Amino acid sequence: MTLLTTNSAVAQEAAKQNSPASIELLKARSLWFNTNNAAGLSLDKMHDYSDLNFQYKIKSGDFKKSHNGEKESLLGVSTEGGLKLNGGYVWGKFSYNNETLRNTLFNTTMINPERGMPFYTVDKNMSDWKSQNYKLEMKVASKPLWDKYIVGVQGEYVTSTGAKQVDPRSVGYFYTVTVKPGIAAMFGKHSVGVNMVYQNLVEETRTTNSNSQLSQDVYVIKGLGNFYSAVVGGLQSLGSFVYSGNKFGGDFQYSYGISDINFILSGNYHLRVEDVISSPTKPKKEGTVKEEMMSANLTVTKSCDNFHRLDLSYSVNNTSGIEYVQVLDNTYEVQRWVDVYSSVRSTYNQIDMVARYDFFRGASHEYKWKAGLFANYRDNDDLYILPKSKMRVENLYLGINAKTNIPLKLANRLILGADFIYKNNINGYYIYKGADATSPVITQFMTPDMQYSSMDYYKIGGEVSYFTNISRSNKSGMFVKVAADFYKPVEGEGYRMQTTIGLGFTF
Amino acid sequence: MSEMKNIYKILIVAVLALFTAASCQQFEEVSKIGEIESLSIVVKANLDLGSAPAPNGFNVKLINYAERYEVNTTMGANGTVTVDNVIPGIYTITLSSEKAQDGFTYNYSGNVVNVDIVTNNKQISVNVGASKSGALVLKEVYYCGSKTPTGGSYFRDQFYEIYNNSETVQNVRGLCIAILNPLTATANLPVWPGDDASKFVYASTIWQVPTDVDYPLNPGESIIIAQMADDHKKSNLNPNSPVNLLSAEFETFINTTSLIQNNPAINMVMAFWPSPTPQWLTTVFGGAFVIYYPSVAINPANYVSPVGSTTKNYKIPIEEVVDALELVGNANQVQLKRMPAVLDAGAATVGGTYLSVSVGRKVKETKTDGRVILYDTNNSSEDFEVLNPPVIRRYGAKAPSWNTWK
Repeated sequence: MTLLTTNSAVAQEAAKQNSPASIELLKARSLWFNTNNAAGLSLDKMHDYSDLNFQYKIKSGDFKKSHNGEKESLLGVSTEGGLKLNGGYVWGKFSYNNETLRNTLFNTTMINPERGMPFYTVDKNMSDWKSQNYKLEMKVASKPLWDKYIVGVQGEYVTSTGAKQVDPRSVGYFYTVTVKPGIAAMFGKHSVGVNMVYQNLVEETRTTNSNSQLSQDVYVIKGLGNFYSAVVGGLQSLGSFVYSGNKFGGDFQYSYGISDINFILSGNYHLRVEDVISSPTKPKKEGTVKEEMMSANLTVTKSCDNFHRLDLSYSVNNTSGIEYVQVLDNTYEVQRWVDVYSSVRSTYNQIDMVARYDFFRGASHEYKWKAGLFANYRDNDDLYILPKSKMRVENLYLGINAKTNIPLKLANRLILGADFIYKNNINGYYIYKGADATSPVITQFMTPDMQYSSMDYYKIGGEVSYFTNISRSNKSGMFVKVAADFYKPVEGEGYRMQTTIGLGFTF
Repeated sequence: MSEMKNIYKILIVAVLALFTAASCQQFEEVSKIGEIESLSIVVKANLDLGSAPAPNGFNVKLINYAERYEVNTTMGANGTVTVDNVIPGIYTITLSSEKAQDGFTYNYSGNVVNVDIVTNNKQISVNVGASKSGALVLKEVYYCGSKTPTGGSYFRDQFYEIYNNSETVQNVRGLCIAILNPLTATANLPVWPGDDASKFVYASTIWQVPTDVDYPLNPGESIIIAQMADDHKKSNLNPNSPVNLLSAEFETFINTTSLIQNNPAINMVMAFWPSPTPQWLTTVFGGAFVIYYPSVAINPANYVSPVGSTTKNYKIPIEEVVDALELVGNANQVQLKRMPAVLDAGAATVGGTYLSVSVGRKVKETKTDGRVILYDTNNSSEDFEVLNPPVIRRYGAKAPSWNTWK
């Protein structure tokens, strides 16, 4: 009976016009949508929607990490939609971003140096970076089979290319393919689900010089500022790097609904292993990363005249940096690197705890206004075992946000939003005991970046969005959006400003 | 309905097969890897000193070039020492000592290179030999070239200075300078034929001081061997070059372009050069050089080739080598040594190309008459330093009296 009632309500909402506020509320109400189990989409009872977004984002200011640009610009387009189909649900999203970073430092090769890979190449030369990426996502959930089981699959394909613009310059290619098959089963008001995760990752980077007369010094870093020196150019030029990884994992979900309260409890364990080799024609291992990810999440919603959502999550990420001792088997016609020793040389442990509460005033198709609070505790504890170096950063993020959805004439809407975040650094230090404490890697890269990570700051953000109907059937709408975020350290100079201009359509 | 069930079964089997096939080995390999632990090793000296007196002990140095990690300790006269706190890796282990007796300075050195230390309490033996400090030494070598005012690369100003570091007059008549194969530091070392291959080094090219007359060299005097003994600061050469080599004693003259003139320097003899080039350009990335007196006349027809290669090289007995210097492109390449450790236990580098800098021996002592004695421990990592700018006859070295154009 509950199911039928919900279906009826959803059917009524489906006939209404989609807008950014309605899509935001739709996703907030969908407990399974943000899990890794696509099968749960059929349990969420989402209605049809789609949108198309264009955005232009610019960032500027010197309150940043070294590899960020002094100025950054991003031009992006994305489209997303969900559709009920034969009793099931399909969802898809495509996005494309073209990004330019001006005056970056200490990143020679990585399209995304913050993706959890400690083995890569850096250099001292200030340079622009250009990159573009495509991302395709899909989720499919079947109709209930035998009135009890739902099967689903989730897929994601990401591909990126990027190039550093100054010697030593590089070109890199990155892709991931992720598949998440899942199943959910309904037992009255109880639903349980399990899914598996498999991801394949490849990144390839090649370094060259435009000026072949001048070789460039680079540093191949291995974690916490440890590195070996290399040269790009000449007969002994650093070879290309190939990263190849796989991730396996599994998630479970349990949801329960009683009256107007619903909750979902989910947990997962994922294991990623990624090898890094240089010079693929005579492969030499630069390192391996083993990453274990575990998390538990609880989401509780209450739907009445208003809508409440509470999210609690706890996640642990333990990453090991494995290094190898290799000797060259110089036998004629063999000539290959042979492992003689391998060990975990560095560890990177992160604990993340998040609590978030959102209140939506008016819980029908759109909200009238909403307000939210969040707190996020994050502890990063990194260790290079021999010679021992250590970095610790503990931060607490506290945030508050609010939006109001103001109806205007002719069903137009104006959304005004504001948010405030305060980051409080609880603990932060970096002790380097490696071979060369005076190298630029330590003095100009690791130390400034660690200081950035350990600074208290506040962020003030605001957005204005204007939505209008553009079809006679009241099915399609258009919106323009302007948003700005301003980051400022509590002590010291510097700031970071991000401005976003967007144009979107909803269907 | 049964057809639908079959489709689901096929899908499930396909997905499971995908998971199973994908990189099980990658996961299995890392599951066995534990955290790194430091190791202890036992180093033992095997002495082969000939008539030299026994040393009182040794300085022991372990260098892991890949990690720039170094452990130093000392070994007593018993010839054994246990070294703790060694990070697993590939090491060069060097034993060195020095002893003055009967008016001579004896150098004791021995090393093992690229030895893997990955197990605890590994025993490593190092053969140690003794030699009196060499009379003739490579004093300063400028190999990396310079940049022209327009940013071009200039390499004709290379020079090699050979110094009489002894107390007695030396004669450089017939002295050879050779660059060894491979020309640049590489992990791909050639494999040489013959059971006695390790008793030789293998030259790619050899130049020889003429054997027609004597060329005596007094203590504290040096000779300059120039690729081209000209004033390289001339406008038609490279005004940015750091050197004027008109006073060089010898040059490797090859008249292939109008830029190369027959300068006052004595022309050396092209003793072995199977693949001639327009000039004797030795690699600006750093070659491996020896100077030696051949015991028999060089016959280019008596060449040898590495296994699997047709390149022509000339065998030089290690026992005939007077001095040796291994140069590499950068500090990290010291682990890619080509030179036998008995000749050069380390390597020197300027760390780049076309930098207008040289490598030169450090001064060990200065005599009362101002004459300097240079370090010669057969370890270029220790004996040499980077010098900016290159200077011929540094530290007051004198040109020989027979150089009338100096």
